[in-house]
Amino acid sequence: MIRLAAIWEAFRVATASLRANKLRTALTLMGIIVGVSAVIAVVTIIDGLDQTVAQTFSSQGSTVFTISKNPQIIKSREEFVKFNRRKDVTHEDAEAITRLCTACWRVGIAANAIETVKYANQKAENVRIRGIDPLTMFEIDGRSVDVGRIWTESEGASGREICVIGPDMLKNLFSDAPPDKAVGQEIRIDGRPYLVLGVLEPLGSILGFSRDNVVYIPYSTYQKAYGGRRSLVVFIQVPAPERLEAAEDQVRTIMGNRRHTTGDAEDPGFALETQDVFLNLYGSATSNIYIVTVLVSGVSLFVGAIVVMNIMLVSVTERTKEIGIRKAVGARRKDILTQFLIEAVTVTALGGVIGVGTGFGLAYVISALIGFPLLISVFSAALGVGISSLAGILSGMWPAWRAARLDPIEALRAE
Amino acid sequence: MSEAILTISPVENEIKTRTAVNGHDPSMLISMRDIWKTYQMGTESVHALHGVSFDIPRGEYIAIIGPSGSGKSTLMNLIGCLDTPTQGQYWLNGKNVSEMDDDELARIRNQEVGFVFQTFNLLARATALHNVELPLIYGGISSAQRHEMAKQALKAVDLADRVTHKPNELSGGQRQRVAIARALVNHPSILLADEPTGALDSHTSMEIMDLFERLHSEGNTIIVVTHEHDIAARAHRVVSIRDGLIEKDERIR
Repeated sequence: MIRLAAIWEAFRVATASLRANKLRTALTLMGIIVGVSAVIAVVTIIDGLDQTVAQTFSSQGSTVFTISKNPQIIKSREEFVKFNRRKDVTHEDAEAITRLCTACWRVGIAANAIETVKYANQKAENVRIRGIDPLTMFEIDGRSVDVGRIWTESEGASGREICVIGPDMLKNLFSDAPPDKAVGQEIRIDGRPYLVLGVLEPLGSILGFSRDNVVYIPYSTYQKAYGGRRSLVVFIQVPAPERLEAAEDQVRTIMGNRRHTTGDAEDPGFALETQDVFLNLYGSATSNIYIVTVLVSGVSLFVGAIVVMNIMLVSVTERTKEIGIRKAVGARRKDILTQFLIEAVTVTALGGVIGVGTGFGLAYVISALIGFPLLISVFSAALGVGISSLAGILSGMWPAWRAARLDPIEALRAE
Repeated sequence: MSEAILTISPVENEIKTRTAVNGHDPSMLISMRDIWKTYQMGTESVHALHGVSFDIPRGEYIAIIGPSGSGKSTLMNLIGCLDTPTQGQYWLNGKNVSEMDDDELARIRNQEVGFVFQTFNLLARATALHNVELPLIYGGISSAQRHEMAKQALKAVDLADRVTHKPNELSGGQRQRVAIARALVNHPSILLADEPTGALDSHTSMEIMDLFERLHSEGNTIIVVTHEHDIAARAHRVVSIRDGLIEKDERIR
């Protein structure tokens, strides 16, 4: 049995010797701090991102899927060439889906362009111009109007230059004026004048990308401005997530029939995608970050542990006399072993605590900069301190064992 | 306890038959029988002790004297249970310590032996009180009791007012008295002092020797190892060691 008093004594001695060698202690701690804070920062940041991503996608709902010519992610040049040979997705495809898909609830089309938007002498660059049809596309996109109105069905079909602007436009073009000041004004997109009918409710940003830096226009107007020869994206919404699969199957059949002439038997001739694509991409990106972080912090913890081992060996050598005195008055091997193990663990656990603090601090700064919630996880804090303590036990083992088996006579003779 | 022991001496490399010099005397505090200590120096074997036997009764004040290289340090290490003999039997307070392992020896040192060293051997960063408490910590005494016992021990060596001082805030004589308090705090069977005045001036030396005398009169068994004759002369019995053997064992008062 190791007596409690001896453990407390070991802890007292450990903290006293750490205080006596402040610089050495600080240097010893460095590796452990870097390792632990890296893990804590990355884990905390990714937790925050996960929550943001989960919220974002669930707000739009997992009830929407799309049909397009090219998938969102093209993995190779070969794929790019292959996809470019596909037929464009057209208005007719969307109409066929609307007509034939019984499991579908809402069907809409959308096309995007990036343009510079001007009002008076104000200018906003890289604004997403989204041409949509029909009006239910607003609902599929999860957008609603804050002030003013959206266009009517007949206005939408007329090809008139009318628009509904995202709230970022207020900031960028109307000097942060209240939304009602923008309604009725005329803005210029790519030189053409558009009448502002309404202003959308803000959706905020995902990972620093604003979703409100957008101008919605009717698809007929979009076609007039940008031509009808671009491939569309068809958005299909189902009333509930459990209907998604049935709708996807129907749409796959409908589109398959419309694309039966493609030469390539392997290629369906269109891309059907849900938000899973983004979630998968995001998941693989974050898991890569995890792996890299674990490797980096593993290496720095390893180096840190070796430094601790070195310092502990030095400490044992320096304190040979003290070990001799302790043995002379009755310390057994395990008392000495415990003392040096506790000293090693005290150093590394301290490093772990500082590392956890630094990691959370780092995560706080980054989350404030990018704009996602900071999730402080007790589990990761405990893990950080736990792993560094384990490193202390492992690195302290050999020095402590050397100290424990010192011959008391030899040790007392040391200076 | 008398029996024939067949041993192979590593030195002469020949088989010897030796009759153990009778068993131990249970009335004695210390009973050493035919103690040998052999060190291996490269290929050569060096005998530090060649069959030392003696007894020390409880309450004796004894000096072990001898020049350097005589084997007296080796004998002191054996008496203090810092080491075990290569051969022979050693009973301390009724326990045969000659065949104990490291941890058992540590326990004996903790319970039965109080060391006083030439260079004091105090923990530099610890207070006088904490230094005195050290054996009690390894003895598993509760913290409140430890404090009380350590304070008593410091009071017994007239250092009640130096409890919170660290060794570097104390004079040599005071440091040695802290060491003596540490040696006595656990009420050991023997107080074993190795050149206790070797690092002190003559006046302080006399003070320490007076303290030993007082502790002896209070019933403690005291063993002083020294090479100085005037220090040895304060004891009641002097054992002289030369070349690993007891040369003389005389009662002087």
